[in-house]
Amino acid sequence: MKVRFWGVRGSIPVPGRSTSRYGGNTSCVEVRPKGGSPIIIDAGTGLRRLGKSLMEEAFGDGKGKTAILISHTHWDHVQGLPFFSPLYRAGNQVHIFARQRDMHLEAVFSQQHDSPYFPVPLSAMHADMQFHELIEGAQFDIGNARITCTRLNHPWVAIAYRIDVDGASVTYCADTAPFADILFGREFIVQAPSLDEPLPPDVAAELARMRAGVVALAKNTDLLIYDTQFTRDEYRLRPHWGHSHPDDAIAIARDANVKRLCLFHHAPMRSDDDNDKILAKYRAVITAQNDRFELVSAYEGLEITLGDE
Amino acid sequence: MKIRFWGVRGSIPAPGPDTIRYGGNTACVSIHTKAGGLVIIDMGTGLMHLGNALMAGPFGKGQGRATILLSHTHWDHIQGLGFFSPVFIAGNQFTVWGPGGSPGVLEGILEGQMDPNFSPLQSLKNFSAKFDVRAAPCGDTFEAEGLTVTAREHAHGATTALAFRIVEDGRVFVYSSDVGQPFPDTPPTEDTVAFFQGADVLLHDTTYRPTEQATRRNRGFSSYEDAAHVAVAAKVGRLVMFHYDQDYSDDDVDEMTASCRAVLDANGGKAVGLVPAREGDELEI
Repeated sequence: MKVRFWGVRGSIPVPGRSTSRYGGNTSCVEVRPKGGSPIIIDAGTGLRRLGKSLMEEAFGDGKGKTAILISHTHWDHVQGLPFFSPLYRAGNQVHIFARQRDMHLEAVFSQQHDSPYFPVPLSAMHADMQFHELIEGAQFDIGNARITCTRLNHPWVAIAYRIDVDGASVTYCADTAPFADILFGREFIVQAPSLDEPLPPDVAAELARMRAGVVALAKNTDLLIYDTQFTRDEYRLRPHWGHSHPDDAIAIARDANVKRLCLFHHAPMRSDDDNDKILAKYRAVITAQNDRFELVSAYEGLEITLGDE
Repeated sequence: MKIRFWGVRGSIPAPGPDTIRYGGNTACVSIHTKAGGLVIIDMGTGLMHLGNALMAGPFGKGQGRATILLSHTHWDHIQGLGFFSPVFIAGNQFTVWGPGGSPGVLEGILEGQMDPNFSPLQSLKNFSAKFDVRAAPCGDTFEAEGLTVTAREHAHGATTALAFRIVEDGRVFVYSSDVGQPFPDTPPTEDTVAFFQGADVLLHDTTYRPTEQATRRNRGFSSYEDAAHVAVAAKVGRLVMFHYDQDYSDDDVDEMTASCRAVLDANGGKAVGLVPAREGDELEI
């Protein structure tokens, strides 16, 4: 399979000179099994250019089929959907998978298309759209690919996906905070809590259980894509935002024995030069620690081939 | 007044190497008044960068105030709000004038953007700054940071967007983004021309080239040709091109600017100045 990055940025798209090498589009990754239909992870603004590219294939004739796996419905992970060209062509099939919410998923996605916000309602999309609600620990197949998922530590809940196909696997963990300081749920956390107080035992146990789930999901995976929005120092200032940092991602990668770790969901104000420095710093760290995995940093256009081509 | 462009792109932010010169952020324009006041028009992703710049002044200390004029509530005109740093500092005050007909309706629409399914902020109530949301009256004038503002509803496809005529000491700036008749060959009405009449600067929607607009009339945007014609009819001083389609590269905008110049010149508009809006540029009126 081939994994291609169309959007690597967190929170909000950031056009401009200082982000032009890594790219300013929000989260969107294409996984292309050998000879199969594309599986898309997240629908940030990167989805717009992916959609245009897909229109050059069967989708342009209304004969395309794809599945979009949504980690969670925060704007930066869904805001590309109204601009996904294949939706405007009758005959295309678009299956959207996301964790169950309070409302039916279709109602959640409809809100984005409602008239005060967008001129074209979801019901006016010409493609055949189907919504699939996932529950905790769901496993399912898309073509020859096996999909498994587990819960992440993020406000209002996000989920990680693992895709196994063509004798290889990719695991996508965004968005998540470390499993160390705050257990995220539904409450709004106004300001950063102290990180030096011990956690209540039940909270610590729940976080440990969640972390074990992530390590199990990523076990021996060929490519682990991980939310590293923050540096460690930035994380200590904003632990209540629900994002992680490279030190935490490296610890997970080590415990899960992954083959390659990909830094992802870069902070909006992170310049290309900053990203270069972070990558160089942590390559030195893993070399010094004799880690066996390779470290890369996601940029728009990066394509990684895994397993059988 | 001094006008600055923070976002000039239409529909969706368009990052990439081919949008670096004009910029890929969605609509946001600031006006600094002679008296030191701040008026912001539209809250696209450009608003984040304006906010970061403002944090160096009174807004960083919770002593800032500004008026925000909102043309309409499509995503690309409100999506910067949750990333506008001054809203997280207690003491800052904002008056928001926008569409919706009543303050409650407008506030409800902005609240919908912060719904916990979509935003970790969960609610406008989690903003620390004070927000006074008001419905912009169409036709009547109102005051914004010492400037006199008149709002007018213009066709925007199946819906409408507000245009603003803003006056400081007899100098006139008109902001008219996201306007476009859904039907071909519809000339601007006399009322529209009157609203733009004699503006020192008319910022007008130029989302499309005429050829591309022809197949997308229902979307409610203008071509640079539409903008040039109305600028000549209203005898404006300068025309600002704005809200470029997300698919246009910097080279495309260069070419559209040259073509717009030619349309102006061929239609009695040689005296009309032409400025393609570009992120970071300033205009003094």
